[in-house]
Amino acid sequence: MNTPKKNLSYKEAITEIEEILKQLDNNELDVDELSDKVKRVSMLVTLCKEKLHHTEQEIDKILKEMDNNFN
Amino acid sequence: MNEQLKLSELNGLVKKAIGEAFTAPVWVIAEISELKINRNGHCYLVLIEKEVNGDAIVAQAKATIWSYTFRMLQPYFETTTGQQLTEGLKVLVSVSVEFHELYGFSLNIRDIDPTYTLGDMARRRREIIARLQSEGVADMNKELTLPLVPQKIAIISSSTAAGYQDFIDQLTNNPAKYRFHLKLFPAIMQGNQAEASIIGALEQIYQYESFFDAVVIIRGGGSQVDLSCFDNYNLAYFVTQFPIPVITGIGHEKDDSIVDLVAHTRLKTPTAVAEFLISGVAQFDQHLEELKNRFAEIIDDRLTSARSVVDQYARSFIPIVTDKIVKVNGRLNQTIWKFDNYVKVFIKNQNYQLSRTEESLRHEFKNFHQIQLRRLERTTRALSVSSQRITLINNELLMRKIQLSGKLVRNMLSDKLLYLELAQQKAQLTDPLKILARGYSITTYNGRALKDTDRIIMNALIETKLHKGNIISEIKTIIKEL
Repeated sequence: MNTPKKNLSYKEAITEIEEILKQLDNNELDVDELSDKVKRVSMLVTLCKEKLHHTEQEIDKILKEMDNNFN
Repeated sequence: MNEQLKLSELNGLVKKAIGEAFTAPVWVIAEISELKINRNGHCYLVLIEKEVNGDAIVAQAKATIWSYTFRMLQPYFETTTGQQLTEGLKVLVSVSVEFHELYGFSLNIRDIDPTYTLGDMARRRREIIARLQSEGVADMNKELTLPLVPQKIAIISSSTAAGYQDFIDQLTNNPAKYRFHLKLFPAIMQGNQAEASIIGALEQIYQYESFFDAVVIIRGGGSQVDLSCFDNYNLAYFVTQFPIPVITGIGHEKDDSIVDLVAHTRLKTPTAVAEFLISGVAQFDQHLEELKNRFAEIIDDRLTSARSVVDQYARSFIPIVTDKIVKVNGRLNQTIWKFDNYVKVFIKNQNYQLSRTEESLRHEFKNFHQIQLRRLERTTRALSVSSQRITLINNELLMRKIQLSGKLVRNMLSDKLLYLELAQQKAQLTDPLKILARGYSITTYNGRALKDTDRIIMNALIETKLHKGNIISEIKTIIKEL
């Protein structure tokens, strides 16, 4: 299981979820692996939802830097 | 040189000749090079003509539009073309050719044909588009991929522009509460300075190329005039080369500007741009939600089927196990029964052996007991005889010892009595009180009897005990014994 990256992009997250779904559809996953996959998918979904609705510190930092540079 | 003219006479002749040559107004094609409106509302222009394939000016003339005419021509032109009557435009104008002795040659504009300018603008647009296409750049910005979730938006607009604040409000207060990160790069959005100003803003954004998801160029509706800056080759070219997708919303009701054409996404108004961005994010959100639900369903199915497989195993397992248990139980019962019998026989045997042993033991013990009893009796009798004899002997010895002792004691006692009498008499003689009564006295010093002069010192107090009473004396003289 990959360690969760904070700066995981939307595309990476969606791609990984779709990949897991494909594995499920093709019956490539053992029942014993399901628990890990459930955790992973729910973590990815939460991460995306978080990014959709909240500001990350890093972004605020860059926007402030721009204010200083251009105004 | 026979005839000499004054300048005014010459100018008068030119004026006359021109008047005769141009009796009616003439339609002229020219480009407006300068345009000024004075306080009275009169319009003063400089018209020029350039080389066909170049910038060199090949003809030039002053022109005027009197305020009365200008008040009618200007709105007519602008509503027809969607374009301000301004410098740089090519126009078809009806002029009367005039010559004034003092002010010289000038064209007085009476009428204007906006369709010519429209056609010219369209032609110029086509030329610019053709040029961008022949350079292979026209679709370059369109080929960029707009990020899945456009959230970090660089805005090129004027903070005072009509649509700008609405745009910000719309994105900030979107119903699904998606977070947009907005940064304004202010620019002049119309007129001659717009081109340089917008390119300047794009250059600033370029410094944060990897940060932004999209650039939006927005301008509120309202005035429909002067959008020519967005038909500018340099600006359009800059947009095609920009590494971030450009979205336009510059309030064009009619045709698309060239910037619109080369932009990644062309929308009519700032509101439409905001909706586009929100719907992009919402689409992703929805897709995410769908994937999540599908995932949950599949997991549910998988678990249900896994459970039914286990149940099936369990069901087929029970009869097998039950059968096995019955068999094992039967064998066990048999073994227990066998064992039970065996134990019973064994115990019976052991019991019999035990009782036989007990019998023989009891018999042996009886014999042993009788022998011992007889032996004991004999010993007792022998002991009793011996003890009687010993007692007799001892008694005799004792009697003899008692007699001997009695005599010995009697002798000892008479000796002691005699001694006691003597001692009593002697004691009576030495009793100190009896001695004192006879006139002797005892002298003590410091509580001790005084027997010589060795311890005594002058003026010491000594106590003398008499037969009756005491006296205390002080030493005056000591006579030592030689």
